[in-house]
Amino acid sequence: MAYRAVPRRPTLESLSPMRPGPLSRLMLLAVAATALAACSTSTQQATTPTLDGPPGQASGAPGTVVPVNNNDPLEPVNRGIFWFNEALDAVLIRPVAEIYRAVLPDPAQRGVRNVLQNLRSPLDLANQTLQGDWDGAGDVVKRFAINTTVGLGGLIDVAGKNGIPYEYESFDQTLAVWGVPEGPYLVLPVIGSSSLRDAVGFGAEFYADPVSNYASNNDADWFTYGRAGLTVADTRAGYIDVIDDLKRNSFDYYAAMRSLYRQRRDNWIRDGAADPSQLPDIPDYDDGDAAPPSPVRAGQGS
Amino acid sequence: MLTNRRPLLRPAAGLLMAGLAAFALPATAQQTAPAQVAAQPSAKAPTDFVQGLGDKAIATLAQKKDPAQTKQVFRDLLNQNFDLTTIGRFVVGRYWNTATPEQQQQYMQLFERMIIDVYAERFSQYAGETFKVTGGQSTGERDTLVTSQVVRPNGPPVNVSWRVRNRDGAFKIVDVLVENVSMSQTQRSEFASVIENNGGRFDALLDALRQRTQTAQAR
Repeated sequence: MAYRAVPRRPTLESLSPMRPGPLSRLMLLAVAATALAACSTSTQQATTPTLDGPPGQASGAPGTVVPVNNNDPLEPVNRGIFWFNEALDAVLIRPVAEIYRAVLPDPAQRGVRNVLQNLRSPLDLANQTLQGDWDGAGDVVKRFAINTTVGLGGLIDVAGKNGIPYEYESFDQTLAVWGVPEGPYLVLPVIGSSSLRDAVGFGAEFYADPVSNYASNNDADWFTYGRAGLTVADTRAGYIDVIDDLKRNSFDYYAAMRSLYRQRRDNWIRDGAADPSQLPDIPDYDDGDAAPPSPVRAGQGS
Repeated sequence: MLTNRRPLLRPAAGLLMAGLAAFALPATAQQTAPAQVAAQPSAKAPTDFVQGLGDKAIATLAQKKDPAQTKQVFRDLLNQNFDLTTIGRFVVGRYWNTATPEQQQQYMQLFERMIIDVYAERFSQYAGETFKVTGGQSTGERDTLVTSQVVRPNGPPVNVSWRVRNRDGAFKIVDVLVENVSMSQTQRSEFASVIENNGGRFDALLDALRQRTQTAQAR
């Protein structure tokens, strides 16, 4: 696989590393419970890491359609949690992100993002190593050394400006590289789109992150919570326009998110490399049953 | 979705960017990867095609006509350069065969209007990004994937790929990928979900498309 990737922004994942405080325990429990629930109902799908189901070709006689395999056996539950998350986003997270974006000057926002990425270095390094990506691991070390010193504690992404961009690596990606199937799609409370494998990876990083463990061992849990809060604000702020657009233009927001999540995840696993063989098969549809050219071309009427 | 977690947002970002960045930006395209293109002579023409499209889009935006006029230019560009029939057929997948000929015809009209509305709107929100084609590689027997980068004033650059097909001697875009997220693939799963969640009724999709068109007009 190719290892060059576009700079990645930090994610909520980076907040995972809270030490088991009361709040984090609760979150973990929620994750575990959802994951278990998924487990029990979907053993047969768990082995099929489909994207959105096979590219649907016409199957059988016209009129008979086999349902698409979305590998989402918990869809009704997932949709419930999804809309709960939506409500939370509407009343709390989006407003906070909007204030964050409006109040903080751009350079400050970039600085925050750089620091958050730098704090993920131990996890990125561990994952690169576990994936056997030695070049990637070397880049993490170089980035950390350069940005922590010359970059003033991670505030300035000097390494990125010199050709070593940030690359997001999670334990979910590591498991994927090891061949672990993604399992059914899950929507986790507060956290959002996930899969059984991703949830497990999230939980593992949650406990393993040296940065938050260090903070918590030194009575500095505030640091971990602050980091988590900033991660949420920074990430959400970066996507305000994108998500508004997506909501406005999607026909089934839940399904759009599910598809986007999987495609993004696959992209990370490939470390951002374009892979033509992964493209969906788009046939030529010259089979005569195509619709006649529309008399009125779209757009002219409105 | 509270989501600020990467899975949710990121992907969404992709989508948006597609809109904003993808098309509108094709402006200052310079070919930065001649070596890569040279290695695959067959990929040269499609990169020029995308480049040219970008130049046209930028020129339009530079003229600063009123928004309605700009949108109309984008509509024409989309009509001429996107293979709307292929895209429409792909995103509806196998449900095509469950539709009557009348439904199929209605679907195509509604879909084309919808997709043009959505993209014309997005592309006219150009905000100073620059666009450059970075290469091209052939994919399978039919298509060329033209890669490009959209550089934003703030934030990291966005990678946008254009899947270009040679249809009867003319190049047509059949898919846009933002950070490797396929717009057609995403729409396809949405459409499937709409139909599945309405008892497999093809009409449910037509209703949703009609509603979307009306909302767009109201805006």
